[in-house]
Amino acid sequence: MSKNTSVQSAEPAKGRRLEKRNAKGGTSFLHRLWSQRELWLMLLPGIAYYIIFHYLPMYGLRLAFINYSPILGYDRSPWVGFANFERLFVKNYNLFITMLKNTLLTGLLSFGTTFPLTILFSLVLNEIRQPKVKKAYQTISYLPTFLSMVIICSIFIELFSVKNGLVNKVIEWFGYEPISFMLEPWGYYLVYTLSGLWAAIGNGAIIYLSALSGVDQEMYEAAEIDGCSRLKRIWHITLPAIAPTVITMFLLNIGSLIKVGADKSLLLRTDAIISDVYMFSTYVYDNGIAKGQVSYTAAVGFFESVVCGILLLTFNYIARKRTGTSIW
Amino acid sequence: MKEIKMKKKKRFDYIDVIAHIVLILFSACILYPMLHVLAVSFSGVLPILQNRVTIFPIDFTFENYTFFMEHSEFISGFVNQVWYTIEGVAANLFFTALMAYPLSKMRLIGRKWIMRLCVFTMYFSGGLIPLYMQIRNMGLGNSEWAWIFGGLIATYYLIIMINGYQAIPESLYEAAYLDGASDFQVFFMIALPLTKATLASLGLFFFINHWNSWYSAMLYLDDPAKFPLQLFMRSVLIEDELMKNTPEFSQEIAPIGVKNSLIVLSMIPVMVVYPFVQKYFVTGVMMGSVKG
Repeated sequence: MSKNTSVQSAEPAKGRRLEKRNAKGGTSFLHRLWSQRELWLMLLPGIAYYIIFHYLPMYGLRLAFINYSPILGYDRSPWVGFANFERLFVKNYNLFITMLKNTLLTGLLSFGTTFPLTILFSLVLNEIRQPKVKKAYQTISYLPTFLSMVIICSIFIELFSVKNGLVNKVIEWFGYEPISFMLEPWGYYLVYTLSGLWAAIGNGAIIYLSALSGVDQEMYEAAEIDGCSRLKRIWHITLPAIAPTVITMFLLNIGSLIKVGADKSLLLRTDAIISDVYMFSTYVYDNGIAKGQVSYTAAVGFFESVVCGILLLTFNYIARKRTGTSIW
Repeated sequence: MKEIKMKKKKRFDYIDVIAHIVLILFSACILYPMLHVLAVSFSGVLPILQNRVTIFPIDFTFENYTFFMEHSEFISGFVNQVWYTIEGVAANLFFTALMAYPLSKMRLIGRKWIMRLCVFTMYFSGGLIPLYMQIRNMGLGNSEWAWIFGGLIATYYLIIMINGYQAIPESLYEAAYLDGASDFQVFFMIALPLTKATLASLGLFFFINHWNSWYSAMLYLDDPAKFPLQLFMRSVLIEDELMKNTPEFSQEIAPIGVKNSLIVLSMIPVMVVYPFVQKYFVTGVMMGSVKG
C-alpha cells in the first residue's frame, strides 16, 4: 500500500527543480531539507497526531506490566512484570478461553459470512445486463451504509423480538412457539451475523464491481464466440479479474477475526447473556473503562493486538509468496 | 449498430432468471425493514399495537413525531451531534489533506519512513486502554475533541488522498513552482481545488462516521448535556429508558411508533446531504481500490 506507481513522471521534474535550487547554493542534505521547510511544516500536525495518538499509546502499553494506580501515575506505580498476563492466562484460564472462543466465533461469523457472500453478491449483480436495473439493485444494496450501528441493531432487535417481531410471527405461523432470541447466546450470534450481512454486503460489493467495470467486454464476447458457457466465463474471466481486489480486501479485513470491536456487542447483548458472550473487547470495556482495572485490561488488549498483528503478517506473507499481491 | 443488435439478441437464459430472483429477494430483505420503520413511524396507535402495519402507514398521523418536538434531550442531542459532525468533518478533512500533500511529493526527504510509520498503525495499536488514558491525561475528556483529535487522520483515507494529489498532472504543479509559488500557495491554490472530487468523497465518509458515532461519545463524555443524538437514541431504542419512565405510553402513543419516528428524524441530515454528494459516494469507495 505504501508503494506508489503513478510517480515516475515526477522524476525529471525533480531534476529540474534541483537544478534551480543548485543555483541558489548546493544540494547538501541541509539545503534540500531547508528547501522543503514548508512541506515539513504541513507534515507537522499529522506527525504530531500519529505520535500522540498512536505511538505514545503503544508506549503506554507498559501499563500492562505495572500495577497502575491513578494516584501514583505511570512512573511510580509498582512494576509487576508479567503478573497481569499470568492473571489472564493462568488464574482466569476459563474466562480467557471463553473470551478467545467468543471473539474468534464472532470474528468468524461476521468475516466468514460477509466476505464470501459479498463476492458472491458482486458476481450475481455483475450478471445483470440491463444497466439501469443493475444500478437500482446496487443503490438499494448499499442503503444500510448510511444507518448508524444503533439504528441497525435496534431494527434487528425489533425484527427478532418475542412480541410482534416479524421472525417470530413467521415462526408462529408455522405453528411453533415464539423464541426469545436476544436471551439466548445462539440467538445473539444469529442476530449479530445477520445484521452484519444486511449492513455490509452492498457496501463491500462496490469495490468489486468497480474492479469488474474495468474488465474488457471484448474478452467476454471472444470467449462466447469460442463457445464458452456463461458459468465458465464467470469462472475464467470475472473471477481472475477481481482476484487481486479479493486478496487485498481479505488482507485488510483479516484482522477483524480477532479484533472485534465492542460497540456492536454492547448494543446487542442483554443482561441474561453478558457473561456467555464476553469477548476481549467487551471485557476490556466493562472492566477497564467502567470499573477502572486499567493494568489488567491493558494486558488483555496487548494480547489482542499482538495476535492481530501476527495474523496479519502471516497472511500477508502467504499472499505475497503465493500470489504476488500483498499490502505490506 | 451491429453491436447494439447483437446485444439485444442475447437470450435471457437461466442465469439471468436466477440472478434477478436472487437480487429481488435481496433487495426486499434490505428494503422491508427500512420501509417498515418508515410506515410504523407514520401510523396510528391502534394499528401499531395490533401489529397490522407492514410497509404502508395505517391511520396516517404525525403524532409519533410530535413527541420529540419539545423533548429537551432529543433537541440537545440533535444539536450536539450536528455540531460534533461539522467540527469533526472539518478537522478530518483539513488535516488529512494537509498531511497527504507533502507525502504525495516523491522528493520529500524521509517520505518512505513516514509512510511506513503511518501504515504500521494499521497493523498494530496500543489498544483501547492506553489510548483512553492518553486522551484523559491530556485533559480532552468530556469534550468532543477526545475523539475528533483521537481519530484525526485514518491511514486508509490518507493514502486515498495521496493518490488523489498524485493524479493531478505534474506539469500543473511545475508551472506554479516556476512562477515562484511557495509550497503553501501551490497547496491552497492548485492541489486543493483540483482534488475537489476526492475531498468530497472523503468528506462524505467522515460525515457518515461522525453522524453515526456513539461509542466514542459514551467513552469520553461525562456530562449528559453534551451527549450526542446517537447516544440518546441508544438509551431510547436499545435500553428502552424513555419507555420505562413515560406513563402515557401504550394508551395514546405506541412505544414502537415513537422509536421508529426517532430513527426517521435522525436520518434527516443524511437525507439532506446525500443528494448533493451522492455521485461521490460510489467513486469514493472505488478510490480505495486504486492502490499503489
